This record gives sequence, C-alpha cells and structure tokens, in this order.
Amino acid sequence: MSNTTQFRVLDFDCPTCASTVERALSNVDGVQHVEVHYATGRVEIEYDDSVADPDAFAQTIENQGYTPQPA
Amino acid sequence: MKKQSITQYYRKHRKAIVTATSGLLYGGGWSLGYLTSFEMASAAILVLATIVGGYDIAKTAYHEVTNRTLGIKTLVTLAAIGAIVIGEYWEAAAVVFLFSLGSYLEGRTMRKTRTALQELLEMTPDTATVRRDGELQEIPAREVEEGEVVVVKPGGKIPVDGTVVDGESAVNQAPVTGESVPVHKADGDEVYAGTVNQEGALEIRTTGAGSDTTLERIIRRVEEAQEAQSPTESLIDRFAKYYTPAVIVLAIGAYAVTQNAILSLTLLVIGCPGALVIGPPVSIVSAIGNAARSGVLMKGGDHLERAGKIDLVAFDKTGTLTKGETTVADIEGFGVADGEVLSLAATAEKKSEHHLADAIVDAARERPTAATDGGATVAQADDTDASLQSVPDPDDFDVVAGKGVIAHVGVSGEAGGSSDESDGGHEVIVGNRALLDDRDIDIPSQVTDYVREREERGETVVHVIRDGDIIGAIAMRDELREAAPGVVAALRDAGIETVMLTGDNERTAAAVAEEVGREAGETGLRKRGGDAATQFDEYRAELLPEDKQSVIEAYQADGHVVAMVGDGINDAPSLATADVGIAMGAAGTDTAIETADMALMADDLERIPYAVKLSKATRWNVLENVGLAVLTVTVLLAGVLTSYVTLAAGMLVHEASVLLVILNGMRLLRY
Repeated sequence: MSNTTQFRVLDFDCPTCASTVERALSNVDGVQHVEVHYATGRVEIEYDDSVADPDAFAQTIENQGYTPQPA
Repeated sequence: MKKQSITQYYRKHRKAIVTATSGLLYGGGWSLGYLTSFEMASAAILVLATIVGGYDIAKTAYHEVTNRTLGIKTLVTLAAIGAIVIGEYWEAAAVVFLFSLGSYLEGRTMRKTRTALQELLEMTPDTATVRRDGELQEIPAREVEEGEVVVVKPGGKIPVDGTVVDGESAVNQAPVTGESVPVHKADGDEVYAGTVNQEGALEIRTTGAGSDTTLERIIRRVEEAQEAQSPTESLIDRFAKYYTPAVIVLAIGAYAVTQNAILSLTLLVIGCPGALVIGPPVSIVSAIGNAARSGVLMKGGDHLERAGKIDLVAFDKTGTLTKGETTVADIEGFGVADGEVLSLAATAEKKSEHHLADAIVDAARERPTAATDGGATVAQADDTDASLQSVPDPDDFDVVAGKGVIAHVGVSGEAGGSSDESDGGHEVIVGNRALLDDRDIDIPSQVTDYVREREERGETVVHVIRDGDIIGAIAMRDELREAAPGVVAALRDAGIETVMLTGDNERTAAAVAEEVGREAGETGLRKRGGDAATQFDEYRAELLPEDKQSVIEAYQADGHVVAMVGDGINDAPSLATADVGIAMGAAGTDTAIETADMALMADDLERIPYAVKLSKATRWNVLENVGLAVLTVTVLLAGVLTSYVTLAAGMLVHEASVLLVILNGMRLLRY
C-alpha cells in the first residue's frame, strides 16, 4: 500500500543540499516519490509501506547532515 | 541523563559548535604562525581547523558526488584539499571556516523564512471543548468529529471550522482573512479554525477539524505556491546544473594553462553557485508568506512575477466595487399597481440565480400584505410563513445572459415546462433595454424618463413586461464599498491605470464611476491635482460576460499587463483571461481560489493596492538579488584573474554576497 509522510527540514543551507537529500531519499528501498523543497524546507515522501521503513527516512536525512522535524 | 542532554545539546547546535571550534583553531593557528616562528605547530593547528570545520562539508560533498548533484560543498571541499596539498594551510582553514560561518548564518536566516507560515498554524488551539453525552469534555482538536458541537469561551480560539448554532459574538478572523476588524457572528454563520472569539460564548457545529480546516487548506496552498518555481527560478536552476561542473572544468583548464594552483583553486571557491540560486526563492517565499499573513493568497512565483508588471487594474463593478447586496430601491407601475409589478417580476425571476433576481424575489417576499394590491394574478400556493409572502413558481423560464429573463406564469397545474404558451398564462419579461430592443417592444417616454432619473442616481433598472406591454419598472441599488474610492486613488498614485467593467448600462456606470471619483477626491488622496487624477481612467458599460473577456484582451493587445478583480465565480472567464486574476472573498470558496492567480480571503478591497505594490517590490527584489549576484561574481572573477583575490578573500566576499541576498529577500517578510 502506498503511503505518504512529511518532514520539515529547517536547516537546509543551499539549494543543492535539498536536491542531494532528494536523491538520497529516492534511493531508500520502497520509496516511490520524493519532493524536497529548499525554500520551505518541506520533504514529502510517498512510499510502499510493505517495503519501506519510515524510520529510515529521518535517518537518511540526518546522515546527509540535516535535522528532520515531523511536519 | 546528563550525558543525554549534552548529546542533545550538541546535536541541536552542532553547526554552531563546529563553526566556532574551527574558527578558534583557525585564529589560534594563524596567530601562532604570525607571532611566533613555530611554523610546524601553526600549520598543524590550521590543518586541524580545516578538518574540524570541513568534516561535515566533505561528508555532504561525498553525498553530492555519489548522488550526482554537484554543488557548492563539492567545490569547497576540492578547494580546501587542494590548498592543503600545495601547502597553503592558512587559506584552507580560512575557506572552510568562512564557509561554515556563512552557511550557519544562512541556515539560521532561512529558518525564519521557513517558519513564517508556521506561526499561522500555531493559531489553532490543540484542544477543543466538545459536548458529548450531554457533558462538556476537553479533547484534542484533531479528534473532533464532523457534526459535533464545540463550545468556545469568550477570549478563546476557535479550534474547528463550523457553523454557529448558539450564541453571538465578535470574531477576529485575521489569521484566515487578514481583516483586523472583528466580524459579528450569530446563529448560522460560518466560523474558521484559528480565529479568535472575542466577546460571547459560542457553540459551533463542526464542519471540519484537524487538517480539514480552511486555515490548513490555505497554508497548504501557500506552501505549494512557495514551492512552485517562477520562470526566473527554473531558468537559474537549469543554469546551475551545468554551472558547477563547468566551474570544475574551468579550474582544471586554468591550472593546465597557467600552472597557477592558487588561481585555479580560487576559481573553484568564487565559482560556487551562491547568491544567484538562493536569491530568487528567498524573495518569493518571503513575499508569498507576507501576503498570506495579510489575507492574500498568491498562487506562485510566476504569478507574482507577472503581477509585478501590472499597469492596469480592471474592476468588476457589482460585488467588487459595490457591496454586492442589491436591494430594491423603488418600484413604479405604469397603469398597474406597484405590488403587481413586483410579484409578477418575482415569479418570473424566482428560478434565476442572478443577484438582481434575488433582490426582486426578496423584496416580494418581504412586502407587507401584497395580496391587497390584487397583485397575484394567479392561484398561488397558500402562505406557510406568516411574515413572508410566498412567491409562486413560473411555468418555465429562460435566461438571456446579460439581458434578463423570459418566463411564462399563471398556467395552472399540469406538467410544467410546456413550451406551448397558448393556454391562458402570461408571458412575463424582466430585463434591460437591450432585451426590449431585441423583442421590438415599444418604450413609452414615461418609462424612459423614470429609468433615466433612477439611473442617474447609480441605480440599475429592469423593465417588467407582460404580454408585450411594459407594466412597470424596478430600480435597484447596490451601495459602493467605503474602501473603493481610496483604492482607486491609491492605485493611480502608484501609476497604475484603473478601469471599471460592468454589465450595467452607460448611465448607471457613469453615476457609479463618478461617485468613486468624487469620494476619492474628498478623501484627499489626490496628489497630482485635477479631478481626473482620482477617477477611473475609463469605464465600460453594458458588457456581457464574454465582452469583459474581449475588453481585457483588447487592453492586452495594447500592451497592458492587466489585472482583473472580481468575485471569482461569475467573473471566472475574465479572471482567467487577465494576466493576473484577483478573486475577492475567497475564504469559503475553493472555486475562486482555483481560478484566480491571487485570492483575497476577505472582501477587503484595500488589499489590492497592497498586493500590487508587494508584487512590484518582489519583482524589484528578485532583480536586485540577481544583479548583486552577477556583480559579485564578475568583480571576483576580475579580482582572481588579476591575482588580487585569493581563496580566503574570495570566500569571504562570496559568503557575504549570499547573506546580503537572503537579508534583502527577507525584507519582503516585513513589507
């Protein structure tokens, strides 16, 4: 089943950083669609919840050096 | 526990701590090298400063490379490593420290922009008091079910969207509509989550809670708008994609030609895509956020950029410049009793949704004992409500768009909708002059005089015709909004032409336009002297809905960038045709928000000069930012090529330009 979750990242410090996080998230297993917006800091992830582990999303964002907050 | 909190503190402030440590080490290493001869020690500390400050940057750079999104951090990492390799430790440490400091400050300022909207959401209380099983319970606001009754105390914030079922109060709707004046709410009125109940207790039947409230929907739309890229942004983004790799190639090329390592590393640093890519989004997000807090929904950066070029604003008259509360001002029967004119007209208009029709039907309902006029020509259903007259249904009716209605009334009972009218009923036409001309109906001078007299007062007159003879006329009035003259004057002062479009006839239009002009003159907003300066540049009367569209197209063909202000429903086509469609009173209606490029949450005309000026300011702001960015890169490039600028200085100027651009964009938050 497809599911959607959101985060807010307030500490993006450059537009490319947002694209990098977007690429990284889209490589997480089970992720179907990701949108990361530099300007608003909003991260929207659409994923297959039989495959993806939602905890991995926040971890991935942290690994890139940013702080995800639940939206 | 203690350890836990230290870890948390570190996590939260990691960027600040890393930057500060790197800065201290950098300062220490530099002083050591400058003041003493411990060169090795100095070099070691500077390398340490580079590693401390650069670790996170390099990590992100690694992710950039593996995700094939080459960006600024890749360039900085390459430059720092390169500087260390050629033994320029001081430069390496300086570049890393300045970059960390810059991006820390950038992150902090951007956070302000990103949270500007959150403040609006925080207006909604977390809990709600609901009436369940006859008693009051406090529950999380998100868990209130549709249909449940919520009780809000005076001074309390309203937790849900709903309809007032009991109580009366003044509600401050500023978070949703931007209006600072509280609105009176009583039985049956709609209220929004996040607004403040100021006076009496209210009981509200919930229509939406949690994420299904008007405020949440508005904020979602505002965010979508902020995220939608303007043409400038997407142009720059496409450019940036090739820019970074190009800078790397250029740096390598420069090294190959000049064998000057410092020069090519400096190129990497100053080539960072900074102010150019950050500037436009910050300006646009700030402007859209500011507008949202004032009750103006801007649909996106591209709309905003277009709105910045507006040089002509067209207003629909009815419901936009006027209050849209049409009432019957006068009824005149020609050889027939006034009451009969009214009740016939009401029957004919009953099924029409036109605002003039509503006014006529309401007047007929409220007319005291109209029956004594002998007005009802037909068997009508007996009254159910003692205080209101009932208005019978017509047998059939047709709307002639922009002209009136043609109906058949008085045919008794059998299957309605028969188009064959030869069975004893009357054909009743209620319409304007154009409809009468279409039907070749003679207009006696008595009627013409009456109509002229009322129209010169700014009223709208419809004729009532029974079986081909004019039996009467009804004059209707729609008061001008108090703000209208001031708004027209403010736009004119801003150098924007104003035009009034209306379906009404020439005389009524002239009277209203003159009223606006006169009052604008009286408010003393005139700056250029001469009466003309405060009136509309033009008004166009007798326009059918599709004519309004062609009028707008004609202005566009003349080279104008046209904004059209209307209600978003009846004016939807002209709003869509205009370069910028501005819908009024959109809080409750999703359709208006869909069709418009800009939506005013309240019926607050005064937001229009504000929105237009904000758009212009935004357009300038974007240009300033792009200009500043290009200027910075050009100056730096010249500096590098003439060897005036090296790594550290290049980074300093670069980061300063980024911060300047962000701060400049953020001015729009407080516009």
